[in-house]
Amino acid sequence: MDNILSVLVFFPAIAGLLGFVVDKKSARAYGITVAAIEFLLSLWLWFSFDTSNAGMQFVEMIPLIPDFGVNYYLGVDGISLFIIIMATLMTLIGMMSMSIEKDVKNMIITLLFLEMTMVGVFVALDAIIFYLFWELSLVPMLYIVGAWGGPLRVYAAIKFFLYTFMGSLVMLVGMLFVAYVYHNLTGVWSFAITDWYALVLPVNYQLWLFAAFFLGFAIKVPMFPFHTWLPYAHGQAPTIGSVILAAVLLKMGTYGFVRFSLPMFPDASVMMITPIAVISIVMIIYTAMVAYAQKDMKQVIAYSSVSHMGIIMLGIFALNSEGIGGSVFQMLSHGIVSGALFMLVGVIYDRRHTKLMSEFGGLASVMPKYAVIFGIMLMASVGLPLTIGFVGEFLVLLGFYDVSPIMTILAGTSIIVGAVYMLSLYKKSFFGPITKEENKTLKDLTPKESWSLIPLVAIVIWLGVYPKPVLDPINKSVNAMLVFMDEKAITAEAKEMIKVPHAATKTGEVK
Amino acid sequence: MENLVYIALFAPLVSSLFAALFGMSPKKQFVGVVASVLLGISLVASLMLASYVYTTGNTIHVTMMDWISAGDLHIPFGFVVDQVSVTMMSVVTLVSTVVHIYSNGYMDHDKSFNRFFSYLSAFVFSMMVLVMSDNFAGLFIGWEGVGVCSWLLIGFWYHKEDVSREENPSISPSWAANEAFIMNRIADLGMLVGLFILYWNVGSLQYDEVFAALPHLSGSILNAAAIFLFIGAMGKSAQFPLHTWLTDAMEGPTPVSALIHAATMVTAGVFLVIRANPLFSMTPDVSYFIAALGTFVAFFAASMALVNRDLKRIIAFSTLSQLGYMFAAAGLGAYWIALFHLAAHAFFKALLFLGAGNVMHAMHDELDIFKMGGLKKTMKWTYIYMGLASLALAGIPFFAGYFSKDAIIETAWNEGTLVLWLILVVTAGMTAFYSFRQVFLTFEGDERYKQYGIHPHEMYKYVLIAMSPLAILAVIAGFFKEPFEHFVTALLPEYHMSEHTHHIAWLLGIVVLVFAVGGIALAFKKYYKGLKRDEALESSWYYKLLANQYYIPDFYEEFISKPYAMISEKMWNSVDMRIVDATVDGIAKFLYETGDGSRKMQTGNLSNYLNWMAVGAVLLLVVAAVSAAVIG
Repeated sequence: MDNILSVLVFFPAIAGLLGFVVDKKSARAYGITVAAIEFLLSLWLWFSFDTSNAGMQFVEMIPLIPDFGVNYYLGVDGISLFIIIMATLMTLIGMMSMSIEKDVKNMIITLLFLEMTMVGVFVALDAIIFYLFWELSLVPMLYIVGAWGGPLRVYAAIKFFLYTFMGSLVMLVGMLFVAYVYHNLTGVWSFAITDWYALVLPVNYQLWLFAAFFLGFAIKVPMFPFHTWLPYAHGQAPTIGSVILAAVLLKMGTYGFVRFSLPMFPDASVMMITPIAVISIVMIIYTAMVAYAQKDMKQVIAYSSVSHMGIIMLGIFALNSEGIGGSVFQMLSHGIVSGALFMLVGVIYDRRHTKLMSEFGGLASVMPKYAVIFGIMLMASVGLPLTIGFVGEFLVLLGFYDVSPIMTILAGTSIIVGAVYMLSLYKKSFFGPITKEENKTLKDLTPKESWSLIPLVAIVIWLGVYPKPVLDPINKSVNAMLVFMDEKAITAEAKEMIKVPHAATKTGEVK
Repeated sequence: MENLVYIALFAPLVSSLFAALFGMSPKKQFVGVVASVLLGISLVASLMLASYVYTTGNTIHVTMMDWISAGDLHIPFGFVVDQVSVTMMSVVTLVSTVVHIYSNGYMDHDKSFNRFFSYLSAFVFSMMVLVMSDNFAGLFIGWEGVGVCSWLLIGFWYHKEDVSREENPSISPSWAANEAFIMNRIADLGMLVGLFILYWNVGSLQYDEVFAALPHLSGSILNAAAIFLFIGAMGKSAQFPLHTWLTDAMEGPTPVSALIHAATMVTAGVFLVIRANPLFSMTPDVSYFIAALGTFVAFFAASMALVNRDLKRIIAFSTLSQLGYMFAAAGLGAYWIALFHLAAHAFFKALLFLGAGNVMHAMHDELDIFKMGGLKKTMKWTYIYMGLASLALAGIPFFAGYFSKDAIIETAWNEGTLVLWLILVVTAGMTAFYSFRQVFLTFEGDERYKQYGIHPHEMYKYVLIAMSPLAILAVIAGFFKEPFEHFVTALLPEYHMSEHTHHIAWLLGIVVLVFAVGGIALAFKKYYKGLKRDEALESSWYYKLLANQYYIPDFYEEFISKPYAMISEKMWNSVDMRIVDATVDGIAKFLYETGDGSRKMQTGNLSNYLNWMAVGAVLLLVVAAVSAAVIG
């Protein structure tokens, strides 16, 4: 299959369109089937992926507006490959576990469209195509929160939409400006990211452009202080919305930094290390404390997402292979773990229609299976070795230590403050005597719920014990990117800070 | 031989997974039996490896597979069986096997019997990973793994409610479990930083590569690495100021206290210092600090044990104190003596805890020794066991503790650190006193339990038999001192007493002995005949200070836990909601209202529009003029 990427992008959308004619009763089964096929396709992508090649693979290019250099241009490398697989997996699992009764068919169609936009963002190699999918992804999410959400859903949905949209517009201006500069320098128009990589920009241009892209990405991540849309969105969104939002949509922001900001603006990135590290540390500590203060289980997980995204941001700006590789791995890890945690909160919400921790207590006695899976995800979330959560966090902190020991120690408090809010959540909800009468008769996980969660548990342990199959391709592409950034950097400081691993220089892996 | 390594390592994992299969079902006796047998297999494999290493002097190094590789970092799952690790493996599996068999009896009425074995075996597996790894990252896997198992096991009776500190100093099992986990995490951050320092200066985390590269590193880097690694050790080994979790950990079932919080896990910090001895021997200042802190903790913990009334907490304080002794030895460079005391302590302290478990089993979970007394009639064997263990702990000649603890005290003299020596000697007297205070109050004197309507009974016979290896070792382990020294100094630096110390060794021994016997005699005088309470003493300020653990738990509560919760609450309500989010909404509202306000311009009145046009034109002209003036 030469155009596997196009198939991956448009298969869910086409299936979604066909979904309109599917009978309401079978909509769920239809959706799961489509999502499963899509997931298998993404696995097939992995199997046919050439792990020895650090560059873009499965490239497709069809000119769209040749005069302006806008192309339908897709490709994947080690960095995007696994995020795509995670996106298709979480869509599938999310659908399998979905407990929504109202307008199931609409939900399925919406999710399939959302899947198209998510995959689209991660395979796009043309800035315009990237922007298109990036913005389109807002619409299904707006609908999911606005139509299936809680009492404040309209406020939350509009806040989410307008806030992230505003950031993206600034990013779009930045993109247009890059294309304009490219045209000035080369005489041709191009929106291809790979063309833009070759552009060596003066430092002041880099700084302005970095700022423009930063606003778009930072709101999406979300970085402090742009994060306040997130608790509202999670608080109001139905479980499936939160799962997709936390697992995949947030990763678009961090992916954007890796795909655009770093290779395009290496000097600006080096200059921005300190400010971004400071913001990341604030994210890590401050939101972990805010998470500890929450009364609502779901809000704890929502704020913990911001805290974990801080770790990811920190690793990206370590500008060495350990840090960036760890960040990309942590994106996957956070996707799986936070997705699972949101599903787990959904499980108890379906039973009790409340998420307040004070309503629970002693759940471990009545719902042992639930408690076990929650416990495993908790341990992955606090970064226990041999779970998926450790690998990324460890590599990020290790990587950043080379940049600044003091800041690493501050960021490293994440292993303490993270344990504080997660263990306190677990103690309040699962331990102690059962105080509420309603909780005494709660049913443990249903087969549907178990079958959605067990695969995630398996992945959490598998990639914790043996992360190599995923880490190697990521590492390869990251190394290639670093080599290339190092060559391209203008300032001496940037050349100094961008660390090319010995492994990459020895074999002369230059793209 | 390679297969033996894997058998020793993975048999406990198999046991854990097997028990986990039945984790949610009611008690199944065979789960306990199978787990104990698998642990026995691991023990046999470890002993065979030990004899192999002992007889041939070879070490075994296996690499199972890659774990993490990114950039220049490569971490394999590699295991090394050398003199140090094989000693630890033998001690760990021996105590574990005894504790597994013991638990069959101790946990027989618990509805979560199967779950217990799953956790307990998982702990042993983690501990084996910790001691067998050939690199610091692998050690960290085990390090965190034992932490989680400890969390699970301290909080094993998670259904218990939180109560006030007056009622139960540990509040509840789940509270104590969280405290232990979080406090250990604080130390683990230090440990991670230590790893990062080593990686970025050496380029590897493998022990052999790191130790080989140490001579090329600068003093400040060595010191930093040593300090941060030791911070990690302080957490696991509960050294001041991270010590409060250990006594609270007594909320877990007693076999857990014996295995994890006395014999094995808490010694992981000492093991780390011993394992990384090439690093610590190059940093004399850090090492001296370790010795001084260890000595302080030895005394500090013993002082709290003097007045405590809780059977298990007394032993926990005693563990803390003995860990202090081990650190004192390691800090003074006598690594093999530290390791020897670690092993000897594991035997007699586990025995002491298991004896305490028998007492609890008999007394229906009563822990207050003021409510016991006269138990020797019904629990003869337990009395003998706990008596032997206490003799060993007190350092009475020819019991295990005599050989190991005296060697440490002698080391302190030999190094010329007379203050440390003096404190350690005094502590030895205190140790003897509190140990026998406990033994006499429990087993001798009047039968105070009768007024509480308790009918004690001796533990099952097979449990008593299972405890016998520990009892034997508590008595005879000291006689293996010389072969042991010969064995482990193949890897660890040798440590010899100076000529001068050697000459007066008998005198030093007598001084210590006088203190130890004096402590026992004092305990005999005060408590042998029964409990006579001294109101004046009990209401004195120093008694209260000790009984309240120097108010350190209260201090942590008031100055760390509560402020943290309060600041978190403020961060959320005042900062996140009122400032950050309100600003965002404020900007949005401003934009909206500007739009709403400027809508009034759209009146539909043509002359109005013309007015606005004129204003606009004037404004634009001004802008043009100004910019022309500025730029032009």
